[in-house]
Amino acid sequence: MGEIQRRIVIGAGLCIVAFALVGVRLVDVTLMRGHGGPGFEGHAVLARADLTDRNGELLARDLPVKDLYARPHVFWDKGQAAHNLAAATGTDEKRLNAGMANTKHPYVLVARQLTPEQQDRVMHLGLPGLEFEPSAKRYYPDGRAAAQLLGVTDADNNGVSGLEMGLEPQLHAHAGGQVATSIDMRVQYILAHETEAARETFSARAAGGIVMDVNSGEVLAMISVPDFDPNERKLQGGDSTRNVMAQDVYELGSVFKIFSFALAFEDNTMHLDEIFRIGQGLQIGKFTIHEAEHMPATLAARDILAQSSNIGTAQIAMRSGGVRQRAFLDNLGLLGSPRTELPETAHPLYPKSWGTIETATVGFGQGISVSPLSFVASAASVVNGGRRITPTFIKQAPGADNRGPQLIKPETSAQMRDLLRYVVTNGTGKKADVAGYDIGGKTGSAQVPGPGGHYIPHALRTSFAAFFPVHDPRYVVFVLLDQPHGTKETGGFALAGYTAAPLAGKVISRIAPLLGVPNNAPPVTLARGNS
Amino acid sequence: MVRVLNFFCVGFMGLAILALYHVSEATRVARVELDRTTRQIADTNGQISVLQTEWERVAGPARIQELAQQQLGMSDTTSVHLSSFDQLPRRGEAAPLGDTPLHNASAVVPSGAAPSATNPGPTSNLGPSSNLGM
Repeated sequence: MGEIQRRIVIGAGLCIVAFALVGVRLVDVTLMRGHGGPGFEGHAVLARADLTDRNGELLARDLPVKDLYARPHVFWDKGQAAHNLAAATGTDEKRLNAGMANTKHPYVLVARQLTPEQQDRVMHLGLPGLEFEPSAKRYYPDGRAAAQLLGVTDADNNGVSGLEMGLEPQLHAHAGGQVATSIDMRVQYILAHETEAARETFSARAAGGIVMDVNSGEVLAMISVPDFDPNERKLQGGDSTRNVMAQDVYELGSVFKIFSFALAFEDNTMHLDEIFRIGQGLQIGKFTIHEAEHMPATLAARDILAQSSNIGTAQIAMRSGGVRQRAFLDNLGLLGSPRTELPETAHPLYPKSWGTIETATVGFGQGISVSPLSFVASAASVVNGGRRITPTFIKQAPGADNRGPQLIKPETSAQMRDLLRYVVTNGTGKKADVAGYDIGGKTGSAQVPGPGGHYIPHALRTSFAAFFPVHDPRYVVFVLLDQPHGTKETGGFALAGYTAAPLAGKVISRIAPLLGVPNNAPPVTLARGNS
Repeated sequence: MVRVLNFFCVGFMGLAILALYHVSEATRVARVELDRTTRQIADTNGQISVLQTEWERVAGPARIQELAQQQLGMSDTTSVHLSSFDQLPRRGEAAPLGDTPLHNASAVVPSGAAPSATNPGPTSNLGPSSNLGM
């Protein structure tokens, strides 16, 4: 083979290799990459998942908004540009001027989370060097109804309070999807509506409420008023971001007697028909325990709870003793902070030295301060068969039984349920009764400590813990009014039986049908054809 | 022979270049179109998201109650236990309530279920669409 022919063959070989490469590329482009390229996934993913209630109703969502950045070096007149941009977006002109004067950074953040109207105004300025960056703004369609419970996010869309903070990992893990909470927005609204109405009626400083499933621990509703609008960055007059049901601790007063009686049943230190001497006061050392209301000279044990006698309860509590009482309350979880998905939590306040007088006062709910959420969880354990329950804000499977270890005997729990029903039928909780729903409960009217540590005269913090249906409890409803005032309708009384108990009854009468709790009252009379 | 082969190869190369250019251009156009469509989808999803949120806001129970009170003069009423599932007729069975049409009935509220202050009174007439409270 000659030299020329050899070169031609080499050239032809190179050509064939080149054609082969071109052919492979053709097949690759036309066949292999014909469908579904990387461009299909260019759609921006939202940073946080939606929050929904247990029925799928939307509670919080990222809405698409735009952040505005400017490149100052392209402006002829930076001062005028800053002035116009400040007017169009409502941002601080001084900050813009300072940013534009800073030559270290090529970009200046003009404004975040622009509304469409603001974007229009900016576009009409006709300025060069402006860039709109896609961003997200958290929006809460129900506004104030669950403000403290859901919490809010900061400008960078990080949760800073409430479930937005407590569920942060889940919300990021399911970004673009949904995270279902245990909240039932129907119940939440009813609780909010009735609590706000009661707060107005009794001119209370603050109010709150919780509805919880006693078997699954799911919190269906939690209200704290005054509240705030989570869609506004600024608080209005009278608004508060504080969740009084989880963040604050209170001396809850007589609702605490539930635990004193449960302890007495556990220790078998009394029977319900035993007669106790009440008298005018109970002297313990240099202290005298008095009643909030006039009481008979003697009361049977069951009526001590029904009529909410401090003196009778103190005697019952002292039979078990301080050491036993403290261990019992500790076992119920009242001396620790409840661990839930809510970041807001409060540590209880209780006596360092737990002597006789402390045993007596703790017995009727003074001298110990716990958060309402902690109280609700412990009270649920008393009626749910005596097993520990931990509140949760995450939706559980239908009919979930998350009850933990046995804390008190099932027999004690059954006795307490009967006794709590007796309080509503024959005691201070009568105004909480709703025909057909077998409500059990306990009132609490606690004195309110002032800034100096002394109790404020005539100031009360009233509460009511209701359980329904009491003989096979499914839900606990707890309501609290801070310093309510009596009205003409209540005869000037502001005690829990006149303020908190009717509130609980109204809430239950509205939520029970929604929650599918059967009404066992006989149907009302149906009259023929008199429409 | 070699000349024919070379000619064929050059021609094929030219055609391949044209084909590749055509495919490349079509791909570019398709990518632009795809980007535009993706942006449209994102915008539409954003709009749907906003509309869903707006719907949740306007259909919220607080707003519905406010409108019902302002526009329709409605108010909260106490739940009245009119009937139970046992009294509902099964398919093919006669109604346990006889031929009394429930929509012609009125409920006499028992004293235990006293209506709230905003209620019209102890006897409330029920319209045809009244639910059977349980």
